[in-house]
Amino acid sequence: MNIDLTIAIIITMVGASTPLLLAALGELVVEKSGVLNLGIEGMMLTGAVVGFAVTYTTGNPWLGIFAAAIAGASVSMIFAFLTLTLSANQVATGLALTIFGAGFSALFGQPFTGKPIALFKSIFPDSLTEHPILRVFFDYSPLVYFSLFMVFAVYWFLQKTRAGLILRAVGENDHSAHSIGYSVIGVRYGAVAFGGAMAGIGGSCFPLILTPQWVEGLTGGRGWIALALVVFAAWRPGRLLAGAYLFGLIATMELYAKAAGGSFRIIPSELWASLPYLATIIVLVLISIRHKTSSSAPACLGKPFIPN
Amino acid sequence: MQLKLEKKLQPSKIMLFATPILAVLLTMVLGAIIFSLLGYDGLGAVREIFLTPILNSLKWQDLAVKAAPLIIIGIGLSIGFRANVWNIGAEGQYIVGGLAATGVALLTHEMSGWWLLPLMAIAGMAGGMAWVFIPALLRTKLKVSEILTTLMLTYVAVQLLNFLIFGPWKSPTSYGQPQTVLFNDFQILPYIIKGTIVQAGAPIAVLIALIAWVLMSKSVFGFQVKTVGSAPNAARYGGFSENKTIWITLLIGGSLAGLAGMLEVAGPFNRMVPQFPTGYGFTAIIVAFLGRLHPIGVLVAGIVLAITFVGGEVAQTTIGLPNAAVGLFQAMMLFLLLAGDVLVRYNIKRVRRAS
Repeated sequence: MNIDLTIAIIITMVGASTPLLLAALGELVVEKSGVLNLGIEGMMLTGAVVGFAVTYTTGNPWLGIFAAAIAGASVSMIFAFLTLTLSANQVATGLALTIFGAGFSALFGQPFTGKPIALFKSIFPDSLTEHPILRVFFDYSPLVYFSLFMVFAVYWFLQKTRAGLILRAVGENDHSAHSIGYSVIGVRYGAVAFGGAMAGIGGSCFPLILTPQWVEGLTGGRGWIALALVVFAAWRPGRLLAGAYLFGLIATMELYAKAAGGSFRIIPSELWASLPYLATIIVLVLISIRHKTSSSAPACLGKPFIPN
Repeated sequence: MQLKLEKKLQPSKIMLFATPILAVLLTMVLGAIIFSLLGYDGLGAVREIFLTPILNSLKWQDLAVKAAPLIIIGIGLSIGFRANVWNIGAEGQYIVGGLAATGVALLTHEMSGWWLLPLMAIAGMAGGMAWVFIPALLRTKLKVSEILTTLMLTYVAVQLLNFLIFGPWKSPTSYGQPQTVLFNDFQILPYIIKGTIVQAGAPIAVLIALIAWVLMSKSVFGFQVKTVGSAPNAARYGGFSENKTIWITLLIGGSLAGLAGMLEVAGPFNRMVPQFPTGYGFTAIIVAFLGRLHPIGVLVAGIVLAITFVGGEVAQTTIGLPNAAVGLFQAMMLFLLLAGDVLVRYNIKRVRRAS
């Protein structure tokens, strides 16, 4: 395999992984606080359409990303109010959020369908982004560097800060955390808002760095893969990075296999397109075989908290 | 001031029935306000989506056609949800059920006889069950979440559909269109009311709802499902096997979704086409919840959701409301219902924050 192709594959892989990584990092924090939000796909779609619309109208992708984060966090508050304040069923509410996001984005995005925007490309000078070797470090959208920074930031927050410790305590034993004076519901609201903002930014990656346009259902189920990635990563940010890039690589292989033709033609393109989803199932199986005795999931995951 | 929730000793029966109705009414009020704010004719949207399909008797046959698959899939899902089994990939089981029925139809295309449709129905149910087999196996043997596996397989099912109709099943006479040949007369569901588009799917849906009602309220199996779902420890103590319950509820859900797929492909579609995945499998989740996971409730909820679909089409042509608005109304309905759940299970008390 020649070096040019390898570098091209790495760059495509990193791009394809970034929305997954961002959304999954957000969900990781949400789940660490003991909440299971199945609405990632809906929040990503909301972020994608709002990010596109704002970038299209203002021409400024930074504003688009900011708006996507706000939009994702806003819709996540519907989920938070229902599940945290009214202690509604988290599974059902998360599903409702995904249905809501799909409907909202289709409605809101209709006037923007088919309109083009410019991809949000690397801000480094051409001498670096077009350099045959160094472009593997520099030819990425700022969103990619942001996602890598967030891997570190989430790790640092959860492991090294007091606030992160409280968040984990709320997820592991809500009643104890409550009895020593922490606001379980407050912490969880914060975590859900963060997860919403991250899913929103992740969604905005689709129009900003992958396909510079809006079409209905743009995220194509990636929100659900992000959910699976959190399980795959055993709720650890570092492993999440590896998992996201592995899935990005599978998606990239699909693209290159289609383009290359030849011997790849033996495998139908539909099978390639199924691979990320089949791989998710296989990975879930491998995880559960390894963790058969002890689960690493937060103890209070998905359970409503009612103070005594 | 703060709200405090106190668990009721018994879930409120009145609220259990009242909240779905309240949710639908509130959706109409909020929907009118929100769509007016968005610059659409809000009142018109609510009138067209919720009332026109009921008031205009010409639309009733459309309601029957749309409600049937929603009810059939919703019944299957509601039995699973009762047992805390979250099969949310019914759309995939619906697709594979339709594909299995199509496979039989293509194999028997030169044959005739009354037995073709029952054979296709069995194939459809087997297809749906096959698609839920892997999630059931993984959940019971390895505790892998069925939420993720059933959903992932839905995306795989769509690819399987594409592979078959763009490849080996493509009709030689379709001028390059990715679709199968038209089914023969013995492979298409009979019309039950002359001069309408109502086919056998509608009475089958009602029949399934009635069978499920008897099964869930009168049989040991129904009791087992409810106990495993609401009191897993008591179920274990009482000797009900959780894994067995998971297997049976998932297989019921898969087979009913598969049957719905067969009824659609042998009914309104008459052949397999790329537009076959219509999202019934996802909407059926709303149907199951709105129907309070009760077979008769699901029957009513299926009709309510069918009203929004048919009404959405009306609103699209009469007042130019985008079709996506229907999804928004449906999601709003589910949100409001879940919010209303709090009234069923808890007493809400206002407390002053201690200073």
